[in-house]
Amino acid sequence: MTRKQKRLSVIVAGLAFLGAATGLTFYALGQKASYFYMPADLTTTSVQPGQRIRLGGLVEKGTIQRGQGATVGFSVTDTQKSVKVMYTGILPDLFREEQGVITEGAFGPDGVFVADSVLAKHDENYMPKEVADGLKAKGVWQESKSE
Amino acid sequence: MVETGHFALVLAFALALVQALVPLFGARTGNSRMMAVGGPVAVIGFALTVLSFATLATAYASSDFSVANVWENSHSLQPLIYKITGTWGNHEGSMLLWVLILTFFGALVAVFGGNLPATLRANVLAVQGAIGATFFLFILTTSNPFIRMNPAPIEGRDLNPILQDLGLAIHPPLLYLGYVGFSICFSFSVAALIEGRIDASWARWVRPWALVAWMFLTGGIAMGSYWAYYELGWGGFWFWDPVENASFMPWLAGTALLHSAIVMEKRSALKIWTLLLAILTFSLSLLGTFLVRSGVLTSVHAFATDPTRGVFILSMLTLFIGGSLALFALRASRLTAGGLFHPISREGALILNNLFLTTATATVLIGTLYPLALEAITGDKISVGAPFFNLTFGPLMVPLLVVVPFGPLLAWKRGDLLAVAQRLMAAFAAALLAVLVTALFIDGASAFAALGVGLAFWLICGALTDLAVKSGFGTVAPDVMLSRLVGLPRSVFGTALAHFGLGLTTLGIVGTLCFGTEKILSIRVGETVELSGQTLRFEGLYPSQGPNYSEDRGRFALLGADGSSTSEITSAKRLYPVRQMTTTESGIKTIGFSQLYLSLGDQATDGSVVVRLWWKPLVTLIWGGGLVMMAGAAMSLMDRRLRVGAPSRRRKATGAVPAASLP
Amino acid sequence: MLFCVIAAILTLGASLAVLLPLAGGSKSPSAAGAHDLEVYRDQLSELDRDAARGLIQPAEAEEARAEIARRILHLDNAGPAARAAGPSTTARLVATAAVLAVPLISWGFYSELGSPDLPSQPLSARLAKNPADSSVDELVARAEAHLAANPSDGKGWDVLAPVYLRMQRFSDAVAAYRNAIRLDGDSPARQAGLGEAIANAAGGTVSAEAQDAFDAALKLDPANPKASFYLAMGLAQEGRVPEATAAWQKMLGTLPQDSPWRDAVEQALAESTKRNVAAGEPAKGPDAGDVDAASSMSPQDRQAMIETMVAGLDEKLRQNPRNAEGWMQLVRSYVVLGKADQARDALGRGIAVFGPDSEEARKFTAFAASLGLTATE
Repeated sequence: MTRKQKRLSVIVAGLAFLGAATGLTFYALGQKASYFYMPADLTTTSVQPGQRIRLGGLVEKGTIQRGQGATVGFSVTDTQKSVKVMYTGILPDLFREEQGVITEGAFGPDGVFVADSVLAKHDENYMPKEVADGLKAKGVWQESKSE
Repeated sequence: MVETGHFALVLAFALALVQALVPLFGARTGNSRMMAVGGPVAVIGFALTVLSFATLATAYASSDFSVANVWENSHSLQPLIYKITGTWGNHEGSMLLWVLILTFFGALVAVFGGNLPATLRANVLAVQGAIGATFFLFILTTSNPFIRMNPAPIEGRDLNPILQDLGLAIHPPLLYLGYVGFSICFSFSVAALIEGRIDASWARWVRPWALVAWMFLTGGIAMGSYWAYYELGWGGFWFWDPVENASFMPWLAGTALLHSAIVMEKRSALKIWTLLLAILTFSLSLLGTFLVRSGVLTSVHAFATDPTRGVFILSMLTLFIGGSLALFALRASRLTAGGLFHPISREGALILNNLFLTTATATVLIGTLYPLALEAITGDKISVGAPFFNLTFGPLMVPLLVVVPFGPLLAWKRGDLLAVAQRLMAAFAAALLAVLVTALFIDGASAFAALGVGLAFWLICGALTDLAVKSGFGTVAPDVMLSRLVGLPRSVFGTALAHFGLGLTTLGIVGTLCFGTEKILSIRVGETVELSGQTLRFEGLYPSQGPNYSEDRGRFALLGADGSSTSEITSAKRLYPVRQMTTTESGIKTIGFSQLYLSLGDQATDGSVVVRLWWKPLVTLIWGGGLVMMAGAAMSLMDRRLRVGAPSRRRKATGAVPAASLP
Repeated sequence: MLFCVIAAILTLGASLAVLLPLAGGSKSPSAAGAHDLEVYRDQLSELDRDAARGLIQPAEAEEARAEIARRILHLDNAGPAARAAGPSTTARLVATAAVLAVPLISWGFYSELGSPDLPSQPLSARLAKNPADSSVDELVARAEAHLAANPSDGKGWDVLAPVYLRMQRFSDAVAAYRNAIRLDGDSPARQAGLGEAIANAAGGTVSAEAQDAFDAALKLDPANPKASFYLAMGLAQEGRVPEATAAWQKMLGTLPQDSPWRDAVEQALAESTKRNVAAGEPAKGPDAGDVDAASSMSPQDRQAMIETMVAGLDEKLRQNPRNAEGWMQLVRSYVVLGKADQARDALGRGIAVFGPDSEEARKFTAFAASLGLTATE
């Protein structure tokens, strides 16, 4: 091989590698990214049982039930629809009634959302960004009520 | 004297402007007086920034609530240490810390850069000045920490309780030292592009800076990971959170830079690539700042969000990243290419390293930005989390880790792969043994876990092999070998230590992910729980009062074999009344390299308490490995070759030309 | 003044950092090639060290040495050596601009941003001031600091509790009364104060918890007017207006002639009859009658009462904002109380409700101006 051919083969190998990595990345994006929904969105989109999604909204007042051991049930609502969620684990410190929450998991066959993680991270308005945007879009929530 | 600090900040901005323009003009016109302005201005600008920062810190320490920033982020009852660390526990203060570190590094170049070519030094300082001036302007116009309140409130609104931790004292300063350290590499690259030539001293200067920045960034990320691990109470050490990714991307690119700079220095090859990497690494640091500060990402780190800041940072990003890349496109062809080499060689191995690391950086970048882009374009909200990164980042890292031990053993220019493989036989045997032992003797070990352990041992033993081979182990007498080992250049030790640390971190990650166990249960006083051979007894909840919080401490006794209590673990639920925020303080007991991690949940009405327990085997190695990597970088920095940035001109007089130059 | 001196010194120092190098002698810098040569020489010596230590094979060392030698030969010694600073006009212009930029930019920017007259105000210094010069807030903060250090000082809590009540920090008042009762025992005044704090914390509703406290006060002192008054108020709130009226009537019979509570009770009686007539009661501020009733109370009670009423009005307007009359009352109340900031805030909120161009907004502005208040400071 001449020097030029050598260089060419190195470049081709590098490009093939990059192509494979790009393919893998976009495959992974299609497979592993989970979409964010609010309860009312679920009536217009079909989410299969077992498909991982993020479900966000407010924790509906008076729906928190503590079951056996560390299992907790509660409803997530966007004030139009609400969805029952089951979660086994320790709820985050910021988890409260009528405050924003994002749960991640999948629907079981019985229509109950089984979450494996519950996030209550939030900004200073006590509202996760996605939930705030969703509620704003629905005209339910206005920013800075005090103003 | 709050206003003195404010005035010093404004003055520092004015000086940064002068520093950005005058030396650049001098270098273009060949005016040596103007080029000489850069040095003193950088030093005085640094002194003014120190004054400004110290003033703000004093205002925090003395609870001066006439400063709005102090009022918003401090409380008179906080312990003094958190009052002081609160200085950078908010957006405005952290930006001031950022610019303080920037001017510090600029001043270092000014003081120790006397042996650089004058035009290079002037251009580097000018680029530093331009970055500084932009950040000063950003602080003064959108994030001024010195806004006053009159009349002053009598009590502050408290620091976010999650930040009231020693981690805040360590994590942001280390991280910023890393981020901003890469600004020097960036300035050197842009300066070289402006001049249109890369001096031989360029690589000598860039490599130590990349090492310094990389060392601090490694420490900052490791510290941030440990902080999130114990403070958030979720037991995880890495969440693939966009904010974490924002610090991880410059680290990956910086690691690539570190390696390509070696090739550039030793062989004058990969010049253009190294230069591009230096620009990209700092651009990723800026992007990280943008992602975190603009409020695009909401997290603990997005202290407060404000759209005007976002717009400002976005224009700043466009200016620096776009500008430097455009300059690169214009000028790169003018730079001369370097030495040639065979694909199987040290250079080839380092290029392979770069290929993997930059691709990994790209996947992390895509995973981080794709949701933002998708939301902007289609309005769909998606989250890209651990499953994505495990599928893309993992396959890229594993082959890279496999080839790591080969790199340092290959010769420059043309290497002998077979000979290197023979030398690595012992390391390979050790790794194989580790795989077998794991698979056969540890219950529930999957093939994946066993291979992971093997990979970690391969790295660790590979690093030791490197030292053994270079000191002549087995080929010379033991005493000769020992003296050779001691006489090895520090950078050889540095490489071996860093790769050793990488192996430790790998071992920690594999141990925790594959062999960790967890349990969630509700427990009553007096009941015991057993997890991976450790038995705990719940002793009860005890209320207690801190300086600015009240807490319920759950006390657990760790029981020995005979059922007696050997030590105590406490986990607490804290209430900070000022912000009405609850936090969980996890209870951690370190046993060997492993940890028992305990997190207190809610209290049920029947008196039982929900508790989450984790057994995390070898988890401390994750961060311990990080510390070893830092030590490796520090060791490398002590190498005499790097300690002198460029040879001083006085040596010419002493005629230190080596006796045997050419045969 | 001191600040100006410091600022001037800093500016001088910064300007000198620019001026001195510009005015200094011009060194002629060596060509860039000289620096490169130094680096290559250093590389050669390093190569020798590595070879001597056996780190690289002799053949490789030879090759590397030859390569470095080639680089030295290629050195472009005709690098652009800097010219000695020719005093061109442009250069002089740039230099002058640079020296002037420092004071001009810094003083210009600072005069926009800074508050040069405002001294530092560390908390400890503010708390150590002569009490006579301190604001109520500062005195309270001092008391809080004392109580944080000595949380079992019942007397301190007892003094602080009514102050909290007056400052409308109701939940703090509840905690303070509870501490005082826990540490210094029951007293009619403390129990009645606790009840009042609980009721106010709940927006004026006399809850069961508040009733318990008032009952405890009455048990200790059956003639405690505050407790009787609020208990009757609670009855009225539950809709048991006749019983409430009877209770207030009874109070009128037993209260001494000079009691500050007489007028308040009479006022409440008048209210309750009115309320019987019109169930839907409009948002209203403290009218002349209320203020009269208040004027006969002790100054503290009066202040507290007025503030409670104003706060109540504010709350009503938050829920029911389209009430032009209510907004004007609120603004006037705050002006009367000397709370200009809150008055301005209320004015702004009122204007925002109706839109800045509305008829009401103009009325509000004119009204506020008649009270000597403008929308901005």
